[in-house]
Amino acid sequence: MLTYTPGDTVVHRLDPRTKLGFQFAFALATFTTLTLPRLAGLFVVGLVSLYLAGTTVRTVVRAYWIILLVLAAGPLIAGVTLGSPWFEVRPALASVRSVVRIVPLLFVSTAYVTATPVRDTRAAIQRTIPGRAGQLLGVGVALTFRFVPVLRADLRRVRDAIRARGGDTRSIRERSQRLTTLMVVRALRRSDRLAVALQARCFAWNPTLPRLQFSRLDLPVWMLSAVLAGVGLAAILPL
Amino acid sequence: MASEQAEAVDLVASDTVKQLSGAVLFAALTAVLAQFSIQLPGGVPFSFQPFGVFFAGLLLGPLWGGFSVLLYVLVGLAGAPVFSNAAAGIGYVLGPTGGFLIGFVIAAAVLGFVAHRSLTPKSVAELSAVSVTAALLAGLAVIYLVGVPWLAAVQGITLVAAASAMSLFVVGDLIKIGLTVGVVAGGNELLADWR
Repeated sequence: MLTYTPGDTVVHRLDPRTKLGFQFAFALATFTTLTLPRLAGLFVVGLVSLYLAGTTVRTVVRAYWIILLVLAAGPLIAGVTLGSPWFEVRPALASVRSVVRIVPLLFVSTAYVTATPVRDTRAAIQRTIPGRAGQLLGVGVALTFRFVPVLRADLRRVRDAIRARGGDTRSIRERSQRLTTLMVVRALRRSDRLAVALQARCFAWNPTLPRLQFSRLDLPVWMLSAVLAGVGLAAILPL
Repeated sequence: MASEQAEAVDLVASDTVKQLSGAVLFAALTAVLAQFSIQLPGGVPFSFQPFGVFFAGLLLGPLWGGFSVLLYVLVGLAGAPVFSNAAAGIGYVLGPTGGFLIGFVIAAAVLGFVAHRSLTPKSVAELSAVSVTAALLAGLAVIYLVGVPWLAAVQGITLVAAASAMSLFVVGDLIKIGLTVGVVAGGNELLADWR
C-alpha cells in the first residue's frame, strides 16, 4: 500500500507547495514529451526524485502494478487488427511512446506520497486555493482522511453481520442492495454526528493551520519546476 | 479583550456544516467502496466503486455531491491509498484510468442536477424512479465520455479501440444503476428520513 513514511530525506524537508508545484510542472512536461532524449531526461529526474525521497522502483511497481498492467495493454490493443496481418507494429510503437512517458510520472508521484504527510497537503491546498473554497477543500480533505478507516471498520462489521445471518447465500442483488443501504445509512448517521461535533467546537472559517515555510532547499526545486513547465509550455504554445 | 476574540471567530453557517459533513462522509464512503468487491459465480469480481458516486449525487445534490467526489480525488492525490487497489498520487489520476476519476466528479454533479432539477437537493423520498434512472444514466454517460477519450489519449490508441476495451464494463455499470434505483426509489424508509 502506497502511503506516507516518516523520514528526514531531502524530499521530506521540502515545503509541500514546492512538491505540488514540481509535480504539476513534471506532469505538464510529461504530457508534451514524445522525443527520446526528453523522455530519457524525465526518467532521470523521476529516478533522482525517488532516490532523494528514500524510496525505490520496487515500491513504485508494488503500488502501481495495476496501472502498469493497463499501460502494458495499450500497445497490444493498438497493434491488434481484426483481419490479416492481425498485428501492426507502427500503431503499437506509437502507443509504446505514449504509455512509457507515464512511468516517470509514477516515480515522482511515489516520491511525493511517501515523503509528504496528508496534513501538509491539506495545509498547502488551503493556503494555495484562495477564499472559502480553499478552506472547505482543506478541511474536507483532512476530515475525509480521518473517516476512511472509520467507514472501513463499519463495512467490515456490516459484512460480518450479513454473513452471520446467512446473508452471503442470498442473491447478488439482495446482498449488494443490503450492504449499500446499510453503509449509506451509517454514513448519513455519522455525517449528522460530525455536523453536531463541528458546531459544538465552534467550527470557524479562520482555524489555526500548521506552519509552512519555504527554505533554501526549495529554491532549486522551484527552478527545475520552472524549466519543466517551460519545456511543456513551449511544446503547447506556438513559440 | 474577550469580546475582541469572540468577534475574530468567523463561525461557519450550520447548513454549510451539515452539507460539508455529508460530503466528507460520502467521500470516505466512495473511498471504502472503491476497495470492495464481491465474487460473482466464476470468480468475477463485482466492484462497488460507482455506488459512492451515485449516492453522493443523489443524496447531496449537484453542488455538494460533486464537491464530495472532488474531496475523494484530492485525498487520493494527497497520498491516502483510496483509489482502486489502494493506489494514490498524481500518477494514478493522470494515468490511463484517471479520466474515469475526473468523470466521477463531473458525473456526481450532473446526476445530482438531473435528479433534483435544481442546485438545492430535495428529500430522497420525493425522487421518482424515472428521474433517478435518468440521472444515473446521465452520470454514467459522463463517466464514459470523459474516461474513454482520456484512456485513448494516454494509451496512444484509437477512440474505437478504447471504447471496445471498456464496453465490457458497461453491462456491470448498468446492473449497478438498476440496484441503486432499487435502493433509492424503492420507498426506502431508512434513506427517506435524511434531510
